Amino acid sequence: MKINRLLSLLSIAILTSCSSGKNYLDGKVFCFNTIVQSILYEGNNNNITDIKNILLEYDALTDNYAKRTGINNVYTINNSEEAVEVDPKLYNILSKCMEVSQKYELFNPLCGSLAKKWKSALANKQILDEATINEELEKIKNSTLVLGENNTVQIIGEAELDLGAVAKGYANDIIRDYLATSSITKYLINSGVSSVLAGEKNNTDGLYNVGLPLVVKREYFKAKNIFISTSGNYEQGVEIEGKTYSHIVNPITGSALNTNDAVVVLSDSGYLGDIYSTLLMMYDIDDIKTFEQEENVKTIVIRGTEIVYHHPDIEVLTH
Amino acid sequence: MDKTKLRNDIILILSLLLVAAVTLIVLLTRTTPGKKTAHISVSNQEVEVVDLSKNEDKEYLINGTNGVLHVHTHEGAIAVIESNCPHQDCVHMGYISEAGRSIVCIYNQVIITIDGEPINDVEL
Repeated sequence: MKINRLLSLLSIAILTSCSSGKNYLDGKVFCFNTIVQSILYEGNNNNITDIKNILLEYDALTDNYAKRTGINNVYTINNSEEAVEVDPKLYNILSKCMEVSQKYELFNPLCGSLAKKWKSALANKQILDEATINEELEKIKNSTLVLGENNTVQIIGEAELDLGAVAKGYANDIIRDYLATSSITKYLINSGVSSVLAGEKNNTDGLYNVGLPLVVKREYFKAKNIFISTSGNYEQGVEIEGKTYSHIVNPITGSALNTNDAVVVLSDSGYLGDIYSTLLMMYDIDDIKTFEQEENVKTIVIRGTEIVYHHPDIEVLTH
Repeated sequence: MDKTKLRNDIILILSLLLVAAVTLIVLLTRTTPGKKTAHISVSNQEVEVVDLSKNEDKEYLINGTNGVLHVHTHEGAIAVIESNCPHQDCVHMGYISEAGRSIVCIYNQVIITIDGEPINDVEL
């Protein structure tokens, strides 16, 4: 009898040693032109499904490349000459974008057509010609986004909307609220590295090790309960005649050359963090320091292979 | 000596040896520290597994949904060096080598991800 019990215990031990050891739930979903990975150290598979649905919903609403069945999205707005009634969620994103663009003219959600043309030119390793840039800038200058009653939206003019700098961060804001409502505090939502929502890690201090872009070797910082937004030309940049052109376009000059090679922004808001990291690609260091104080954010700025500035509260460590 | 007790002791020792052996096998078959593997999938189906630890200089032709991608490995890194996609984002990403990194070609529904033990929890 004792032997039987012993063997039962040993069987359990063997089975335990064969388990994967995974102490979290995770889900991956293809949206926003990237893979978003959700890791939950608490909760259940329903939470993973809910997060996936949030991501897919905002991906559909903010898509400027294709119409989606049953909804009016950014593509619909761009391709309509009349006012379009949109989901209140999309209307809300657009309202927030307009608020930021009125404050910072270097952020303009109406530079979609210019960004697309730069992207096409860079795909062929070419610089967009001056005539096309000027034509696109005129379109932006002469266009207005009208947010009307009953969630109606219309672009007056020929410019196109592009919410690429906002969409992932905004979805992460919604996910953060959802997780808080679900009493989940230990999680990591990694929206293709450019927009990360870090809750707490399942360890003693709850801190995640966050590696800096590849241009910086083995350097990292620790973070928790924060949005981490990153813009840079290290992934989509194209080098032509010794200069690196990126997908981040200045809506005033039309240039695709940026002051910085990568900017990391730590903030309390996903959508603002995403906008700010894009915006600060065009700022010099002194202006970034002022911006940090005004907007209560912390940044890391990279040029070439060097960190040229980081907020004093961010401790940059090396492996 | 009681024969039953002796038999039980032998069973106990053999059982413990069995547990040790199983544990050792499990540990050895799990991801080896320092080993890097790239997984290439098309439309969420894995089509190729590449051992980057071999540091091989090798080219793979991957049949995407809209064309063929030329994938190249070099010094423990992997890149898409040629693709027929319109924006060439996958090609512009260059070589990746860090665990947890990925290259995505939306046009051809190709995803390349690197396994292994990541140094950090998140790579920006």
